[in-house]
Amino acid sequence: MKHYHVIGEDAPNIDGFAKVTGQAIYTFDMTLPGMLHGKILRSPHSHARIISIDTSKAESLPGVKAVITAMETGERRQGAWRRYPELCDEPVLCLEKVRYIGDPVAAVAAIDEDIALEALDLIEVEYEPLPAVFDPMEAIKEGAPQLHDDVENNINLTRHIEWGDVDKGFEEADFIREDEFILPAQSHVPLETHGSLASFDGGNNRLTLWTSTQTPYYVQCLLATAMNLRENGVKVIKPHCGSGFGGKNELFADQFCAGYLARKTGRPVKIVYSREEEFTCARRRTPIHYYLKIGAKRDGTFVAKEARAFSDGGAYTSMGATLLYLTGWFSAFPYRYPNYRYDGYKVFTNKSPSSSMRGYGGIQANFCGESQIEMLAADMGIDPVEIRKKNAMYPNYEVPGQATIASCGLPEGLEKIGEYIKERGNLPKDHGIGLACYGFNSGGIFNWFNTPYAFSGAEVRINIDGMVDVYSLAADVGQGADTTMCMIAAEELGVHLSDIRMHSGDTSICPSDLGAWASRETLMMGNAVKMAAADAKRQLFEIAASKMGANIVYDLEAGDRRIYLRDRPERGLSYYDVVRDAIRAKEGSLIVGRGHYTPHGKGMISPAFSFGVQAVEVEVDRETGYVKILNVFTAHDSGQVINPVAIRGQVEGSIMMSAGYGYSEEMLYDGGKVLNPNLVDYSLIGYRDMPSAVTVDCPTYEPEGPFGAKEVGEGITCPTAGALANAIYHAVGVRITDPPLTPEKILMALKEKSA
Amino acid sequence: MKRELKITVNGDLYDLYVEPGTLLVEVLRDKLGLTGTKRGCDSMSCGACTVILDGKAVKSCTILALQANGKEVTTVEGLANGSKLHPIQQSFIDHWAFQCGFCTSGQIMAAKALLDENPNPTRKEIKYAMNGHLCRCTGYNMIIEAILDAANRIQEEAK
Amino acid sequence: MASDFEYFNPGTLDEALNLLSRYGKESKVLAGGQSLLLLMRRKLVAPQYLIDIKGISSLDYIKVNESGDLSIGALTPHRSVELSRKIQQKFSILSEMEQDLAAVENRNWGSIGGNLCHADPAGDPSPVLVALNARLKIASVRGERNVEVEYFARDRFKVDLAHDEILTEIQVPCPALRTGSRYRKFSRMEGGFAIASVAMSITLNAESDICDDVRIVLGAVSVSSRRAREAEKVLIGKEITDELLSEAGDIASEEVDPIDDMRASAAYRRELIRVLVRRVGKEALLRAGNDSWKGISFKDTGRAALLGRR
Ligand code: FES
Ligand code: FES
Repeated sequence: MKHYHVIGEDAPNIDGFAKVTGQAIYTFDMTLPGMLHGKILRSPHSHARIISIDTSKAESLPGVKAVITAMETGERRQGAWRRYPELCDEPVLCLEKVRYIGDPVAAVAAIDEDIALEALDLIEVEYEPLPAVFDPMEAIKEGAPQLHDDVENNINLTRHIEWGDVDKGFEEADFIREDEFILPAQSHVPLETHGSLASFDGGNNRLTLWTSTQTPYYVQCLLATAMNLRENGVKVIKPHCGSGFGGKNELFADQFCAGYLARKTGRPVKIVYSREEEFTCARRRTPIHYYLKIGAKRDGTFVAKEARAFSDGGAYTSMGATLLYLTGWFSAFPYRYPNYRYDGYKVFTNKSPSSSMRGYGGIQANFCGESQIEMLAADMGIDPVEIRKKNAMYPNYEVPGQATIASCGLPEGLEKIGEYIKERGNLPKDHGIGLACYGFNSGGIFNWFNTPYAFSGAEVRINIDGMVDVYSLAADVGQGADTTMCMIAAEELGVHLSDIRMHSGDTSICPSDLGAWASRETLMMGNAVKMAAADAKRQLFEIAASKMGANIVYDLEAGDRRIYLRDRPERGLSYYDVVRDAIRAKEGSLIVGRGHYTPHGKGMISPAFSFGVQAVEVEVDRETGYVKILNVFTAHDSGQVINPVAIRGQVEGSIMMSAGYGYSEEMLYDGGKVLNPNLVDYSLIGYRDMPSAVTVDCPTYEPEGPFGAKEVGEGITCPTAGALANAIYHAVGVRITDPPLTPEKILMALKEKSA
Repeated sequence: MKRELKITVNGDLYDLYVEPGTLLVEVLRDKLGLTGTKRGCDSMSCGACTVILDGKAVKSCTILALQANGKEVTTVEGLANGSKLHPIQQSFIDHWAFQCGFCTSGQIMAAKALLDENPNPTRKEIKYAMNGHLCRCTGYNMIIEAILDAANRIQEEAK
Repeated sequence: MASDFEYFNPGTLDEALNLLSRYGKESKVLAGGQSLLLLMRRKLVAPQYLIDIKGISSLDYIKVNESGDLSIGALTPHRSVELSRKIQQKFSILSEMEQDLAAVENRNWGSIGGNLCHADPAGDPSPVLVALNARLKIASVRGERNVEVEYFARDRFKVDLAHDEILTEIQVPCPALRTGSRYRKFSRMEGGFAIASVAMSITLNAESDICDDVRIVLGAVSVSSRRAREAEKVLIGKEITDELLSEAGDIASEEVDPIDDMRASAAYRRELIRVLVRRVGKEALLRAGNDSWKGISFKDTGRAALLGRR
């Protein structure tokens, strides 16, 4: 294996000092001189026609500087699916109708927050309530209330995926199972809520927006459209961001309301979501009614699978369109199904839009799929590890007509899990170990945003003292993307991490990038940064080669701040000397390297896939249903590891989120009203609930990734919930198909079983 | 009507006038510009706003500023000595004990109060003492390891 | 937060009582404020006068008198109760309860009296204090009165306090010899709020293992802590066995009329009560059995008196 100088070793977060001293500035912390505070008026109805809006009282409240309604924002609708304008169906501010409790209707800017809130109470909106529908299975029925005039039966979208001959496959099966599952909503709960600060330059008709986002470029484009500005009339800056998890991938009301209000008042305007708004008016993980059918041969070989999904899409398309495809794709993951068929329906309901969230579409598919495989194995009397080994994807496997899996560490992962289970031996009473395998995209290929730019672009500049400036719009939202990019640049240029300075998060100085979603940054931006660094390095090598006068057949290499002959490393030059000479040779201009990455020849899904398998051990209290999650053992393949400690951080954070999905987190509704929009009644896994976790690496080399790297952070979110369900089954013999698997559900199932 | 508030923050005495409804966190963040202290909830449940008040960790989002009149507050900005980090801060960096960092100030202040009281805590004691702090990014274990390590470092330094 | 109230921070109880008698109905008493400020922020409460008693240091104390009776000033922080040696030694159930009450930060700032006055049905101190047969001292300019903790909470978030009154002290009698008590709550998340809780105190006869006295208190299942009196009858006057505890659990789960809310269904709460009564009973019994004169290392005249009688 190649020896690296920087990657593969733990590196501290480049923002560490700022974050532990409180100096890191988030949008939440920002103020500008003369700044106003904005608040958003939201619909109290699940579904209603707006008869009239009267803002006059609010406007005359002292301290109020502006009120906006759809009178200003017009009929314009927004959405991220730019390739399909009909899917951009979300009003900027609601004009005729509101479709969920929390739909934005108006916004106010005032000299302080209390006045802004008071003004909201003074806006008089007359509504005519309409019948509403909350369950996708009800919403598709004939005669159900219709959310959008042009969308019959509330069927927003359908997706179909098929390969092989599914019916024939089932005919050949010796065992068949059919099961249904109901998957819940989950809230992203970023610790920093959505928030924005807008400042408008009326002279040049340009807006600057500081905002808590994962996708500065989307916000730039979508906001420009929403405000009728030219694309680069909007500059988006992402300061430090208090995490996103998929919930900050689109244009949100804080962003366009702050923008409009700043333009209207001529003063900076800041809007921050309250925690309650975060729960009720932002996005949520998509609930799905899932139907699954699987067929296997006597020896455990899968021969066919069929999946049907009805998603509770909420009131607008949002990014939920992508979910509909992804969950179908992941339902065939990470196993070899010769015959597969999926039909998905995204259904409008009078709830907040369900959208992207870490483990997007995968966690739902994984929970159902891994539960069902475990049930099938039990029916057939096959060991859970063996049935998975028999069917797991392997390197260079081709998903019929869809994609080629290049690197794949799943077979090795299953070996490791098998050993781990053997080692654990006989478990104490009421303990159980459950398994789940997973795999995930390293970025998406389908260009639904219709970007004309490369998916990721980067620039590298080398200064006279050897300091390297890296420009990347990869959105570091905590996962450590900036550190990763610095490591990649340092490795490629053969310098130290301390020689790199990162410039990220500003759309006006960084080449475009699509943002931090679909686990795309390490692979896509990683490739772009590596290419930019290589471009700069090539320029250094030109100078170094001529100075060293080495035989033309020798290759140069850079490492540890030296440029040297690969086969005679003792012959070389100092990196700093080469930089100085190179700049002189270029008539004093900086060394600039450019890089970009767009996947080509990789199909329409993803350039590479991460894999892994996880074992969760629980202890169940049979009398109360209480589950103690004891330990989580994961064998993970994310290709060549760039920063091991960051990977561990991703794994552990994913376990916390996925265990929450499986056990404790639940958005409770009364109709369209969220009953628990706060962190008292919405239960996150805490310190005392968190299991210990051990992760082993199954290293592979991904040919498409930078230095062979691929994603971590989303795939790993998929397995814990399903593995937990399987563990509970093995501990006490009950099977629950509608997470979260609360103690109450477990106890009731135990009672039913013993009755 | 505004009332006088005399408060010592990170060793500096401030003489302010505040509305009685002003929260301690609002004084720290909005009046004194100490934005290291965060707010993550409206319900006293996340711990992001934790500061040390007269030696004890408290949640500054549910304390009236006037209730801290005459008292001493330490915020995350008060831990480092110039550019030299407090051992807890250094351990947080070394153990990748934060990601987005939004919960981090609160976690660090709680860890500080814990180690002041119990210089050699067990893993379990840390879990109990820190349980009021939510973190959506890290899964907690790496924070626990950072605190265990910080305890060692502090004891080493004291030697 | 809007500040359309007048703020007072009296330094003595008398001052506070005078203010209250003056402003009565339009005022609210703020102890730590951890509950009240949340309500005010959500505009569920909007007092004209806020009387902040947090600074009355004379109400922050923990005392044990010569007969072994405990008294706790109403403004004593939870954390002091948790860490008090005196309490850990003789009223360990109280400090155990405190260890699992919210977060350290909340316990540092909030007081045990403030918690009782908030009367959250899921509150932890109330069932424990009922099990300990505690009484409360309440003061106003009109004088002082006492009320048993059991009857203090009237409904959810409603207590037996007139507008001019302040809770000043919690009085816990010295437990009789051979008394064991235990509290457990069931929460969805560790250390979280209770979905159901049980506090139990069992006193065994000095000479036999007959149960002389028992208090079974159910928390978080009704609008306020309730004794399961029918279940108590199962145990009184008998030698407690596993079977009897199971029976007591069954009866308790039948006599309770649990609330049904988003945290748990009534049916599930019943099941929890059934299990908790049995489990907590067993632990309390064990403690009662182990509670003997020998184990006590400090001077305890209260018990000595009891022993003398024996
Ligand atoms: S902001 Fe204070 S606890 Fe969440
Ligand atoms: S580091 Fe993001 S919430 Fe803790």
